[in-house]
Amino acid sequence: MTEEQLSALLRLKRYEQPPAPYFDQLLRDIQRRQRSELLHRPLWKIAAERVQTFFGEHSMGHLSYAGAMAAVLVLGVGAIGLMTPGGNGGHANPGIATAAKNPAPLAEEKILSLQASAAAPRLGAPALSTTPPGFAPVVHQPRYIMDARPVSYEPSSAFNF
Amino acid sequence: MQDEQSRKQDDELIARTQAGDPAAFDELIVKYSARLYGLVYNMTSNHEDTNDLLQDIWSKAYRSITGFRGKSSFYTWMHSIGVNMTINFLKKRGRRFHLSLDDIDANIQNDKEFIELTATSSPVRAADLGELQKRLNEAMQKLSHDHRAVVTMFDIQGMPHAEIAKILGISEGTVRSRLFYAHRQLQNFLTEFH
Repeated sequence: MTEEQLSALLRLKRYEQPPAPYFDQLLRDIQRRQRSELLHRPLWKIAAERVQTFFGEHSMGHLSYAGAMAAVLVLGVGAIGLMTPGGNGGHANPGIATAAKNPAPLAEEKILSLQASAAAPRLGAPALSTTPPGFAPVVHQPRYIMDARPVSYEPSSAFNF
Repeated sequence: MQDEQSRKQDDELIARTQAGDPAAFDELIVKYSARLYGLVYNMTSNHEDTNDLLQDIWSKAYRSITGFRGKSSFYTWMHSIGVNMTINFLKKRGRRFHLSLDDIDANIQNDKEFIELTATSSPVRAADLGELQKRLNEAMQKLSHDHRAVVTMFDIQGMPHAEIAKILGISEGTVRSRLFYAHRQLQNFLTEFH
């Protein structure tokens, strides 16, 4: 068989077509299938489509992108926090973590720091007490007891038995 | 391959489909189903498989059409989906298939090439043509999926090398070499009809 004969024979195969009604039926089958697919779509797809439609209808395309980026960022930071060695994510307050890392100061250091704070003059501090040592300072506290009887006080005869 | 008017019509139908008009997509189905049938049928050699595949192909196209940006023609895009899905199907199907090639349309009787082939002067007798077609289909099934796809698009559907290359994502040189190799194989399979 020559090349030309083979080509001619192959070209004949383009006529291997089903009758015309087949294509009408095919169209109906495809339409039925599309409807069926619409009815049996998974929930997450429907939810995603509704969210997309919501953003589309409210002209918030840019917000949806921003929201998506923010979500990705938050997830990324969270994932990095979990994956970092030592970053167990248990300390919500970074100050606590810092304090835990620093050891308690030694007693000698405490004394030195107290002396330093006592020696250093402080602006705005109250005046020094003039009371000699050994005497307790007089403390003026508010008094709620009357010292003498009121002038208008007269004993009632009704009670003088 | 496709004239300007047809392409404009396609663009309009695609835009309507993307805007949510399913009737426009129906028009695309009506327009291209016969050609897609030829593509899939000549690769599978089975009418039932072709029918199922066509539904899958159109469903996939409908789901993906919102992403169609017109970088290639709709015709090329549909053929890409069709060829890829058919090759995947054939890989899964393996050898579990039977030929159902009794659907040669009556139009073939009026074809010029058919008349020439069956003429008294032709070495191929009319009585043998049916048998020859059957042998050709069997020989086609012996080709690899990739070679069969190239033969189907070039020899049967009359597509140019450049378009086949675009659909399959290969170079034109590869298309030509695959065609050469496939023709050689087919000729060897059909030697006894020489």
